[in-house]
Amino acid sequence: MSERPGETAAERVPASERKPASSRAKRLIGGALALIATIVVVVNQRDVGIARDEVVYMQNGAHYADWWVGLVTLDHGISEKSVTQTFGGPGATDNNREHPPLMKTLFGLSEKLLHRTLGVAGEVTAFRLPAAIMHGVLVLLAYAMVLELWGTAQAIVAALLLVFLPRAVFHAGLACFDAPAMTLWFATIYAYRRGLDGRRWPWQVGVLWGLALATKHTALLLPFALGAHYLIVAWRVRPQLAGATRAARVLAAVRAVIGYRWRVIVSLAVLGPLTLYVLWPWLWFDPVHHVRDWLAFHTNHVHYNYEYLGRNWNAPRFPWHVALVTTLFTVPVATLAAAAAGTGVWIAERTRRAAGAPELLLALSAAASAGPFFFGTTPIFGAEKHWMPVLPTICIAAAVGAVWAARTAAGTMATLRPARAHLAGRLAIGVIAGSVVLAAAVETQVAEPYALTWYNALAGGAPGGADLGMNRQFWGVAARGVLARLAAEAPATGTRFVYTHDASPAWGTYQRQGLVPRTLVDAGWEQGGIDRSQLALVIHERHFNRHDYLIWSSYGTVQPIYVLCTGGVPIVSVYRRPAK
Amino acid sequence: MCTLSPRPSPIAVAPALLLVVISLWEVCAARRDAASAPGDAAWHAAGERVRAGYRPGDLIVFAPAWIDPVGRKELGDLIPLAVAARMDAARYGRIWEVAIRGARSPDTAGLEPVQAEDHDGVSVRRYERAPAIVVSDVLERLPAATADGARPALELAEVGFAPHRCLQISPAPGTPLRITFPQLPLGKELVGYVGIADVFSRRDVRSPSRLDVELAGEIIASATAGVDDGWVRFAAVTPPGAADVTFVVRATDANRRICFAAEARQ
Repeated sequence: MSERPGETAAERVPASERKPASSRAKRLIGGALALIATIVVVVNQRDVGIARDEVVYMQNGAHYADWWVGLVTLDHGISEKSVTQTFGGPGATDNNREHPPLMKTLFGLSEKLLHRTLGVAGEVTAFRLPAAIMHGVLVLLAYAMVLELWGTAQAIVAALLLVFLPRAVFHAGLACFDAPAMTLWFATIYAYRRGLDGRRWPWQVGVLWGLALATKHTALLLPFALGAHYLIVAWRVRPQLAGATRAARVLAAVRAVIGYRWRVIVSLAVLGPLTLYVLWPWLWFDPVHHVRDWLAFHTNHVHYNYEYLGRNWNAPRFPWHVALVTTLFTVPVATLAAAAAGTGVWIAERTRRAAGAPELLLALSAAASAGPFFFGTTPIFGAEKHWMPVLPTICIAAAVGAVWAARTAAGTMATLRPARAHLAGRLAIGVIAGSVVLAAAVETQVAEPYALTWYNALAGGAPGGADLGMNRQFWGVAARGVLARLAAEAPATGTRFVYTHDASPAWGTYQRQGLVPRTLVDAGWEQGGIDRSQLALVIHERHFNRHDYLIWSSYGTVQPIYVLCTGGVPIVSVYRRPAK
Repeated sequence: MCTLSPRPSPIAVAPALLLVVISLWEVCAARRDAASAPGDAAWHAAGERVRAGYRPGDLIVFAPAWIDPVGRKELGDLIPLAVAARMDAARYGRIWEVAIRGARSPDTAGLEPVQAEDHDGVSVRRYERAPAIVVSDVLERLPAATADGARPALELAEVGFAPHRCLQISPAPGTPLRITFPQLPLGKELVGYVGIADVFSRRDVRSPSRLDVELAGEIIASATAGVDDGWVRFAAVTPPGAADVTFVVRATDANRRICFAAEARQ
C-alpha cells in the first residue's frame, strides 16, 4: 500500500498486517451499509406512487414466477406453447417480451412468497423488494471494491453517498429495471476487475454480465468499457522487445493483448450469452429471431416526450449535453464537488497505481453508460435512469476526493500540532466527508417521494428545475399524492367516474391497496373518458398540457379543485365537474 | 501536487474547506429552495386582492408559466375558457399579473404596472393600456365562411403546449385549402396566429405547415409554422371596410392539424 498524504499511522499499516478482527468489523460495516441502503429504499417507496410501466412488469413478473414455480413443481413441462403464452407472442410487446425477464421474475417470486404465501409484505412492497435488495447489493459491492483499493474511510463514504442519491433511491424503490441494471452493471465491473488477477476460472464476470443482460438491454454497452480497459491494461504490460524488428514487436504486442487474461474474455463471450439464454425461456425457441426482435425494439424505440432546458424534445437530434447537464442537476452538489476532487486525485496518481487501472475502469464504465446519449440520436426520455451506471463511479470518486481533501488538510494541521496528527486525521475525515454525506442526505430527504421533480441546489431545487425548464416527472407516480383528496370526493354508494390520466394502469392496484374507494371508477382514456367523468386528474408534464385543455372543454371550467405541489411546483391537478 | 511537500502549505486545506463550504451551502440551499415557493395562504391573499379589484373583461395571467395550475385553482372562476385560450392579450386593457420568483408573463412585456403588491412572495401587479379594438374575429364568423374542401372546426387546441381557440383544419397533402370569410369587416390591421395542434402528430410528422392570407386575390400575409415553432404570429395592414378574406392552408403530409385564428383590428 502506498503512503498517502494525511494518512494516519494506523491507516498506513498494510492490509495484510491488520488484525483479523478489523477485517470482520469491516465486513460487518459493509453488510450494515447494504442493509441501511435496502431499508432506506423500502421505507421510501411506501410513499412513491405506482409507475405506469411498473404495473406491466408486476403483472408479467407474476406470470413468469408462476411459470417457473409450475416448472419446478412439475405442474407443466417446457413447451413452445407455454413459453410463448407466458414470455412472448407475435406482437412486439406481447407479455412484455421486449424486456428480458430476470427482475420481473424476481418481482413475481417475491410477491408470491412474501405477499400471497407468507403475508408479511403488502402487494406493492413485495413486488418492489428485489429491486431494493439489489440496491443494497450495489452499496455492498461498491464498499468492497473501494475498501480493497482505497481504504476503509473511502469505502464507507462511497457507500453512504450511494445511499443518499435522491434519484437512485427513487428508482431503486420501483419494480423496474433501471436500478437493478445499475447494480448488475457494477457487479460485472467488479467481477471483471477481480478476474484480471489471473485466476483460472473467472466465471463470475461472464455470469454477472449475463444477469445484467437478463435485466436490461443497456448491459450491451458494457463490453465497450471492458474491452477498452482490457486493451489498455494488456497493452501496458506487453513485453518491451528492445532491438526487435517492428513486425516482431507488433506480433508480440498482439500476443500479449490476446493472451493477457484471455479467460476473462472467454467468460464474457460464453457465459454472458449463455446465462441470458438460460434465464429467458423466450429465447429457448427460435433464439436468433427473438434476440433480433428484442434488439430491434430498442434500436427503433419511439421517442417519448422529454422536457429539457425549456423545450419539449420528442425527436432527434437531441442536445449532446443532456446526460451531462441532467447529471449535474440530479446528483447532490457536494457529491459532485468531491467527485471532481477525486478525479483530480486519480489523474495525479495515475502512474502510482498501475496494476489493473481501476480508476480507468470506473471512468470507462461511466463513459460507456452515458456515451450514447452524447450522439444526439439515442432516446433521452428516461433521463438519468438510463445512464445510472455512472453513479457508482461518481460516488467512488467523491469518496476518494473527500477523504483525500480531509487527509491533506489534516496533514497540514499536523505540521502545527504533530502530537495530535492521528486525531486530526480522523476528525478531518469525520467533518469533511461527513459534511458531504450530510448534504447528500438532506437533498435526498427533500427530494422524496417526488424525486423526479427534484433537482439539486445548483439548479435551485424543484422550483429551480421548473424555472430552467427541466423535465417535471414521468410515469404518473405523483398521482399517489392526490388519492386521499379524490377519496374525499367518493360517494358512499354507487359510482363516480374519474379520468385517471397516467394513473389509469395503476388504478386497480391503488384500489386493492385501499387508497382509492371502489366507488371511484376509472372512466377510461382520452376524450371519451373525460366526457364520462365527474372527477379528473392531470399529471403535469409539458406534453400533458393537452389533457388540461380537454378537461376544460368538457367541464367548462379551467379551475382545478386541488393542486398537488412539491417544493411549490405543481405536479398533479384535480378537477371536479361543476354542477349544472 | 502540493501535498507531497514535507511542509504542506496552508493552501492545502483549501479543498477541504471548499468541500465543507459547498456541503453546508447545499444543506441550507436545499431546504431553502424546497420552501421558497409561496404557500396556500399567500396565494389566497393574492387571490383576494385580485378579486377585490377585478372587473369583467380583465385578463388574469400567472408567471412563471409553470405555476399556472396553482393560479387557476385560486382564480380560475374569473378566467373564462375563451380568455384562457385567447389568441393573444392585445384586446385586454386591464391585466392582472400574479407572479412568484420575480417572473413576468410574456403578456405584460414592456408594460409598467399601475399597481403592485406583494403577499408573502406572491406579487400582484395590475397593468393598464389601450386595448386593441377588435372589428371582427374569424372564430365568430366561422358559420359564414366557405371552403373549397373540408370545413374547419372551432376547437380549443393545444398548440405549442398552450391552449388556443382556433379554426382547425387538416388539408389534403400538397393541395391548398382555401377558407373564405365573405365581407369580413376590416380595420387598419389584420392580426393572426397559426400553429400545428397535437404534440403527438407534431412528433410523428415533422413537416411544417403554411398559411397565406389573401385579400382581393393578393397575398397580404404569410406564415410558416414548424413543429417546434408554436403559435406563429402574422399581420397585415388592411384597408378599413368589408372585404372577402381568404386563408389558404397547406401541408405536405396527411393529418397535419393546422390551427389558426385572426382578428381585424381598428
